[in-house]
Amino acid sequence: MKRFRRISQILFLLFFLGLFFLARFPYGTRVPSDLFLRFDPLIGLVTALSSRSLGLLLLPGIFILLLTIPFGRFFCGWICPLGTLIDINDKYFVKKRNISNSFRDKKLRNLKFYILIFILLASLFSVQFVWFFDPIALLTRTFTLTVFPAFVWVVNGLFNILFRVGFLDEPVYWTYDLLQQSVLPLRQPTFNSSILVLLLFLLILIATIISKRFWCRNICPLGALLGLFSKFRILNRYVDSTCNQCGKCLSLCKMNAIEDDYSSHVVECIECADCVDTCKPGSISFRFSKPNDNNKIDLSKRHFLQAGTTGVVGAIVLSTTRQAVSGNAPLRPPGSLDEQDFLDRCIRCQECVKICSSTGGCLQPAVLKAGIEGFWSPVLDFSSGYCEFSCNLCGKICPTGAIQNLSLKEKQKIKMGTAYFNKDICIPWYNLKDCLVCEEHCPLPEKAIKFDIKEVEKPDGSLATVKFPYVNQDLCTGCGICENKCPLVGTKGIYVTVLQQGPESFI
Amino acid sequence: MQELDRRHFIKTATITGLGVYALAAGQSDNQSFPHVVITQNANPATLVKHAIDNLGGMQSFVKKGQSVLIKPNIGWDRLPEQAANTNPEIVAQVVKMCKEQGAKRIRVLDRTCNEPKRCYLNSGIEKAAKDAGAQVRHVVDSRFIDVDLPQGVLIKKWPVYKDVLDFDVLINIPIAKDHTVSRLTLGMKNIMGVLGGDRGQLHRDFHTAIVDVNTGIHTTLTIIDAYRVLLRNGPSGGNINDVEEKKTVIVSADRVAADACAADLFGIHPQELEYLQNAASRGLGVADLEKLNIRSIDLSA
Repeated sequence: MKRFRRISQILFLLFFLGLFFLARFPYGTRVPSDLFLRFDPLIGLVTALSSRSLGLLLLPGIFILLLTIPFGRFFCGWICPLGTLIDINDKYFVKKRNISNSFRDKKLRNLKFYILIFILLASLFSVQFVWFFDPIALLTRTFTLTVFPAFVWVVNGLFNILFRVGFLDEPVYWTYDLLQQSVLPLRQPTFNSSILVLLLFLLILIATIISKRFWCRNICPLGALLGLFSKFRILNRYVDSTCNQCGKCLSLCKMNAIEDDYSSHVVECIECADCVDTCKPGSISFRFSKPNDNNKIDLSKRHFLQAGTTGVVGAIVLSTTRQAVSGNAPLRPPGSLDEQDFLDRCIRCQECVKICSSTGGCLQPAVLKAGIEGFWSPVLDFSSGYCEFSCNLCGKICPTGAIQNLSLKEKQKIKMGTAYFNKDICIPWYNLKDCLVCEEHCPLPEKAIKFDIKEVEKPDGSLATVKFPYVNQDLCTGCGICENKCPLVGTKGIYVTVLQQGPESFI
Repeated sequence: MQELDRRHFIKTATITGLGVYALAAGQSDNQSFPHVVITQNANPATLVKHAIDNLGGMQSFVKKGQSVLIKPNIGWDRLPEQAANTNPEIVAQVVKMCKEQGAKRIRVLDRTCNEPKRCYLNSGIEKAAKDAGAQVRHVVDSRFIDVDLPQGVLIKKWPVYKDVLDFDVLINIPIAKDHTVSRLTLGMKNIMGVLGGDRGQLHRDFHTAIVDVNTGIHTTLTIIDAYRVLLRNGPSGGNINDVEEKKTVIVSADRVAADACAADLFGIHPQELEYLQNAASRGLGVADLEKLNIRSIDLSA
């Protein structure tokens, strides 16, 4: 059984990675890359509460919940790719502990329930914290912001060297082309947050030193939710009378779910079956039986209250920061919901950032641009790229509908911001020379950048005919290609902001 | 005054010399071939086939075992009917003709303005060229090589794609279209697609810069796609109403002559295009339509 569990874990991890790599242009009608996120019931539950609406894309999560009722936390043991990575790390990188389960503090494992309570109560007050804790969102984020860019960096570095070996040029170019066709983006943006994301991920792995699956036992709110639903499970661990009480399974159990009397705690057991295989007399098996009554979740009232209050107070305090942001709203991906609805749903999984990096490359996880509440939420950054006119992939891949799935026609009409010239440095305006790189790139069929041809007197007294560009604010969608392609280095001669000062609108 | 005379003399001498040379080169075969062939009113593949055949056939430009670099305009994430990129059927036909001559390697590439994969896919060129038997590659940053431009006025050095230097033959296949800076974008402008570096900088003094970089790049054949042309809002276009079907292909070994004939097609006198005059005066080719032997073929009959 342990072998099957391992095969399942590896297959699901590969599936997860495969889906991750497929999140690139052209994103066809294949299996959606956000599939794991959609099947994550915690994301569905919390975003539904915080946004007061049902995200249809997240309904598959219910399927996992329903299966958990009879079968318990199989998701944690057999599917969760983060759990698998933690297991792999434990197996190959962590020094064998003398007593492998020395940390037997059963109080600590209640922490995950408090975290769950904290998240749920905050979400009732329309502040969504699940993005920080959800294991699938966390893993997708780690891969997008750190693992993948590092992978690209290493591959590109290697090929930069290979390309210099003259006689190898053709085979190297052929190989590189093959990689570009399959996995490599043509231009990988880099992310300021990558170090922080990596640190958090490493902390999860390092915590394995304290105990196996430290994250899953003590912190993971998805595990807590699935634990609650497995209270009355009928697939249970069964120890028969041949047990010689050697204690091996006690110290082996990843989740510390085996009690001193060799019964197991149904809320904690993830059915990894390590105990089944390690048991010499073969006394342990998983069987269908009537619900086991070792299913108490022994939460202290005080802690419960503390967690709930923290959630409520946290939500209220964070809500007060919104005022500070509203005057300087961030530029959001095309088709994003209104800022507040957006934040209620965005789980910072960075799927949109991943897919954008294969086309326009403008999406970046905000550090402070979107306020504290918008930490790591996607914003448009035109030093990193620009929004491709004929691309609507971020909306296609968003699992929570924070970015709406728009048709290409609808998306092309979405106004993300408006471009303004910085006439103090723009080449025609300041240097009285033709440039128009922005106009050349403006993707709108009608061109949102127009120009006047005027004869002007230069400082040296000579006359020149110059094309002076200006923005038609009603047409401009704020795609940012003008800002991105502006030949000025450093400060650009044109920039996009969310403000609209056109004749039709009030400031 | 004296200096001006000398410059004028050199100018005239170069143009005349080049004209004579071109005529001589044309006549060195038994048959005399024109400088420029313009074909009209047929499907894109037929247009380009007849044009090249009348210019002496592909065998005059591509020999067996040679490597051929084809540089269409794949600059924009636009569909073929939007006429921002070279017609994919023309590219495919040229690939086929090179293949028939026994070219050992035919490669198609462009350094795009929009995201490369989008441009390659949506222009239809990636598929058309691959199906015809070419390698379609993306431009890789580490394969640009700094090239000295001793004849450059403003630009003395610029990174050029390695293949341009390595390959035996460069076939430039621009699409003729409106351009707000250069008025028209034709063959010489299309060469920007094999340049590295920050190309936006070239816009600062476009008419000189574009000639400067062309002095460092040898073009074997220029094929101007004027099947569908973008009359307004170029170079990226996007509006079908700005597109007109001219059903024309212009072919020449002289890039300046090809551009001059294309300008003429738009009703713009080559004299009006500063960079063309600049190029002609620096000996890159002939811009004076009077001096050119042009064969126009109407294929509708």
